[in-house]
Parts: sequence; structure tokens; C-alpha cells
Amino acid sequence: MYQRGPAVELGKDTETDPLAAERARVVIWLEGGGAGPRPTTVLPGTPPASMEQENRRFEPDLVVIPAGGSVSFPNMDPIFHNVFSLSKPKSFDLGNYPKGDTRTVVFPKPGIVYVNCRLHPNMAGTVVVTPNEWFARAAAKDGQYELKDVAPGNYTIVAWHKTTGFIRKAITVTGQDLTIDFLVPIDPEAASSGGHGTEVSHMGTGHSGAVAR
Amino acid sequence: MMRFRTRAFLCCFVPFALLLAASFWLIQQRVLLTVRDGLRRSLLEKHEAVARVLANSDLQSSRFLKVVGENAALKAGVQLLLTYPNNADARRTVEDQLHELCDRMGFATLMVSGADGTPMAGVMRHGRDAGPLDMARVKVSPSGLMLLDGAAYQVASVPLDQAGENLGTLSVGEVFDFSQFTTPTVLLHNGQIVKSSVAGAAPAEVEAAMRACEGTGECDVALRGVHYISLPMQNISFGDGYVLRSLQNLDSAVGPVQNILRNVFLSVALLAVLMAMIVGVGSAGSIVRPLATVVKHLQAAEKTGDLTEFRAGDSGVTEVRRLIDSFNRAAAAVREGRESLTLAYVEFVQSLASALDARDPYTAGHSRRVSEMSSATAGEMGLAPEMVERVRVGALLHDIGKIGVPDEVLRKPGRLTAEEFALVQQHPTIGRRILEGVNGFSPYLAAVELHHENWDGTGYPRGQAGLETPVDARIIHVADAYDAMTTDRPYRRGMSHAEAIARLREGAGTQFDPEVVRQFAAVTIEQADLAAAQAYAC
Repeated sequence: MYQRGPAVELGKDTETDPLAAERARVVIWLEGGGAGPRPTTVLPGTPPASMEQENRRFEPDLVVIPAGGSVSFPNMDPIFHNVFSLSKPKSFDLGNYPKGDTRTVVFPKPGIVYVNCRLHPNMAGTVVVTPNEWFARAAAKDGQYELKDVAPGNYTIVAWHKTTGFIRKAITVTGQDLTIDFLVPIDPEAASSGGHGTEVSHMGTGHSGAVAR
Repeated sequence: MMRFRTRAFLCCFVPFALLLAASFWLIQQRVLLTVRDGLRRSLLEKHEAVARVLANSDLQSSRFLKVVGENAALKAGVQLLLTYPNNADARRTVEDQLHELCDRMGFATLMVSGADGTPMAGVMRHGRDAGPLDMARVKVSPSGLMLLDGAAYQVASVPLDQAGENLGTLSVGEVFDFSQFTTPTVLLHNGQIVKSSVAGAAPAEVEAAMRACEGTGECDVALRGVHYISLPMQNISFGDGYVLRSLQNLDSAVGPVQNILRNVFLSVALLAVLMAMIVGVGSAGSIVRPLATVVKHLQAAEKTGDLTEFRAGDSGVTEVRRLIDSFNRAAAAVREGRESLTLAYVEFVQSLASALDARDPYTAGHSRRVSEMSSATAGEMGLAPEMVERVRVGALLHDIGKIGVPDEVLRKPGRLTAEEFALVQQHPTIGRRILEGVNGFSPYLAAVELHHENWDGTGYPRGQAGLETPVDARIIHVADAYDAMTTDRPYRRGMSHAEAIARLREGAGTQFDPEVVRQFAAVTIEQADLAAAQAYAC
């Protein structure tokens, strides 16, 4: 029999802050801009990001890629998994495949793609496909993020978390550093009481024409 | 007599005892039947209760199954299995799913089988943890009972359908629990024991005992000396070949009742038997007693040879009285017959004696006279009446032997020669020989043979002396001599009475018994006086 995963050790992975892991699941990216949406910067031959199936979970359960990028889904468990998505930006069904097998999916359109396994309804993963390469994940420790080399122009900066959804703010990048703060109410109850959201701040540096490599 | 009494007793006692035993047996059977009926009823009630419980749990299972049957992941798993029938990973995938369900729902076993019924994957709980099932060993039936590793599971199933197509079946199994049965219960599959809650008996024993019940409804089972009534459960079907039998201890139910019965009957029976025995002995005695007196009387009569009548009024029993009456009539007839016979015989003897005496005119009446005198003497001597009678008849016959002595010798006037006297001397022996052959004459043989024996032993034919000669012979000897002396003979005249008595007195102690002579003299003096008086009167 396939041995089920190790017992969950509560309160250890999160150090002192129980929201640290969740904080890291906040994704920030830019949309729009004076220059219009930038074409994909993913070069051919770039190795795909990986979302493994291990211990009946997607590991990691969140992958962020720019549009045009690809994700491989290797099965590390000694049982079959079945990875599929019904999300609009990219719906697919990789079918059942056993341990050692892997399948790769290309995500041409930006958007949030929820990934599931037919055999294991509790398995859920998310692939965030951003329109460009200006994206970041908040730091687990303090929620800081940084977007570098953003071309000057008008943008919409988006913070997204799977329970809160999108938080959008319009910004204008002029070549100077901007700090954009978000209050992301990861805990819906905490958000409604106006209290303890996760604070995410933007400490970007605006260098026109700069392209991150 | 004893045998008759025993028989009468048995006739009184045995029917009573049999009746008692039969009624005891009947009542006991009746009570046993009633107890048994009660047990059967309680078993049936329990069966109904258990059936309700089982039906309830079935309903719950089916509700749960309906939900689980729609589980998309499980359907996907079954589809996966159908796609990769022999793939270990695929099987493991489904097992994993079942495991999770099992954990969540708490069933003992979960299995999926294909649309054709082939078992595909399953898990089973072992203690706290569930493990995979080797489906090769499993034979899943969609409902009823399933045997696995000697344990029985109650199975319920639901079809797994996907878009109108049947993928297979999901079956859940619960350990078949006896705890809801308050009586010992046995589960058999094709006659083999699966599970038993009979305390204190090994399954093999139970199986052997149950073999007798195969295919029957209610049946009796003996286990380690304990008797049970066994009833198959009929309101629920457990599938092919499964029989669930519950048992009720017959002994523990019947025992107390039987004990009471036994005690009551033992005391009653003891009392009744005692009564029967007393009554039997009493009635046997009352039946036998009247007969016993009759029998005793008969035995006495047999001993004495004297058939006497007895009083009939004693007995209150009609039959016995009739018996006594007829016995008395018979006895009277016999006595009359005997009396007439005796009479005839005495007459015969008298006529014989008379005929003998008549041969010689001088001895005419001799025997009669001797007889009269002898019997008178015997009476005087105080002898018993039978003895007097014997003397009388013996005297009548005493000279019968003279038939064998020629007339010339008997009638010879004058002295006899020695040869002639020897002939005369033979007459007692001849007389004895004559009478010896005749029935009824034996009492007189002594008188006939020995009436010429002398007191001093000089007589004939034996030469006996004194009291050796019987008294009748001694008396006749004296009377014979007296009559011979006192009668006339051709050659001399008869002596006078006194003279003859004197002669007799001379011979007393030598020829005659002195006592007899004395008594004879006393008797004959009276007679002589009488005769003299008669003579004068003429």
C-alpha cells in the first residue's frame, strides 16, 4: 500500500508567524502600461517550471510564470494522478499517469489557472500566468516584494491571493522608486473586521527601458 | 396359596402403578411441550428484533452508499482501474481512495468490483488501520454475507455509474456482529461453522452437533451434555448457503420446572405407591382369606383322611360360599357312601361268620357271641370307640381261617390226633391269608391271626408273649375260650358260667391276659345273671 504522507507537524513550518506561508502565496504583477502589453519574454529552450505531485499534494501548490511559459507536472507518488484544469486561460486534462511520468503544459494566455486531480479531489494547485515578466511573490517573512526595471508609464498593479482574489491599483511609473502597499485579507474574517490583513509593500525602482534578465 | 395372594396383589397394584407412571409421563411431556413452545416464541421474537436492527443498519448503509456512489474521484479511480486492469499503481490508487473513505466512514471493508462482478480492489480494516485486500481471495456478493479469513461481513452495495454506463459496484462490509443476539448464535455456511457464540464449546463441536440440523427448521442440539433448541432465522436472507441459527438452552429452561415436577411427583408417587401397596395387600388378603380357610380345611381333611363338612356362614363372598356348599355336599356324599360301604361290608362279614359257624351246629352263633362279649369287654376296658369296633368286627372274623380246615377234623367227636391238631392250629394263619388280600380288612388281621397267642408265649402261630400281642387279639382269645367251654359238644356238656370263669382265672397270667380276664369276668357276670333271670322267667 502506498504509505500516506508524514504526520503534519503543526506550528513548526511557520516559525513564529502562522501567516508566513500564506504571505508567500501572494503574487504581485503589473498589467497594462503606456507601452502596451509586452510580448512574452520567455525564450525558447527555457526549462519549464515544475509542479510535482507528491504525497497527494501539488508541490509547490503555486507556480508563477509569464505568459508563454510552461509547467511540467511530474508524478512522484507511487499512485496514479490525473492533472486537469477547467480554468478559462488554459483548460487541459493530462489524463491518468503513474509515478515517474511527467507531462508539460504551455500557458500562452495570462490568468489564474486552477489545477486539480480527478482522483484526489483534495489536491489543488494554482498556476498564475502573468502578462509579462514584472511579477513577484511577497516575502514570507515580512511581505516585502520588488519589481525591478519597470518601464515608465501607466500600469495597473495587481496583488492576488487565492482567497482574496485580485486587488488592483493604478500607478504611474516615472523612473523613481514607488512604494505601493496592499492590505490583503487572507483571512476573510480578519479582513471584514478591518483588522489583521497581510501588509504587502511595493518597493520598486523605476528605471525606464530596463528589462529584467 | 402364596401365589394366589401375589397375583391378587399384582392385579390390584400394577394397574394403579401403570396409571400413575403414565399420567406422570403425560404431564411431564405436556409441560415440556409448553416450555418448548415458550422458548420457540421467545426465539422468534428475538429474531424479529434482530431483523429490525439489521434492516435499520442496512438502510443506513444504503443511504451512505448512495452518497459515496456518486463520488467522482472514486468513479475516476474505477475508470483508471478499468483502463489499467493489471497495474499495481492503478490498484494502489483506488485502494488509497477506498482507504480514505474507510477512514472517514468507519466501515470494516470497502471493495470495488467491475461491471461483471470481478473484484478489483479493496481495503479492510485490521484493528485501527486499514490495509489492502488481496482480491484474488475475495468472492464479493452484492448483498448478504461475505466470508473472509474465517470472519463474516455483512455486505451492501451500490452501482457506480458514469454517464449512464455502469462502471462497477462499490461494496461496503460491516463485521457481522452477534452482540445484538442475546442468545447463543451460530452462523453456518454450507454446513460449516463460520461464527459461533455458544459459550464453552469449540466451533468444531458445534459444527458436528449442528450437522443433524442441516436442512431442517426447528431442531434439537446436544452440546457437551446440554440440550438446546435451535431455530434458523427466517426473516432475513444472508445469501446463498448461509444459515443463522440461534439457540436456546432447553435444560436451563426445563430444569427448574422438571425439578419441581419431579419433587411433586416423587412425593405423590411415593405416597400413592404406598397406598396402592397397602390397599393391594389388604384387598389381596380379603380375596384370598375365605379361600385359604377352605384350602386349609381340605389340607386337614387330606391329612386325617376324614372328609368333614364345615360351617358355610363364615364367608361373605358368594362364590366362596358356593364353593363351601358344594364341598359340603361332596363331603356328605362321600361320608354317606363310606357309611353304606361299611354297612355292607359289616353285613358281609357277619354273614360270612354265620355261614362258617353254621357248618357245625355246635358252633352255631359262636362268632356272634364271641363278638358280643369281646366288644363288651373292650368297652369295659375303656378302649376308644374305633378300637371297640375293631374288636367287634375282628371277633366276628376270628375263625374265618377254619374254612381251610376239613370238616372231618372240625366235626370230629373226641380227641384229635397230633396231625389233626396241627391242621386246626393253622386256621389263624389261613384266616390272615384270606383277609390279607381284601381291601379294608387290614385292621382285623391281628385279631384273626393272633387270637390263639398265650400270655406266657406258649400259643400259636407265633408264640408271642404278654403285651406283644395286640389287645384285640388278647380279648378275643379270652372270649373264644369262654364260649368254647360254655357251649355243648357232642362228646360233653358245656360248663356253667362260674366254672368257665374259674377256668379262665386259672389260666390268667399263663394263657390269658389277667387284666382282660378280670374285665371279661366283670362283664359276663352281668350277662350271666341276665341269662339266668331269663331262664327262670321261661
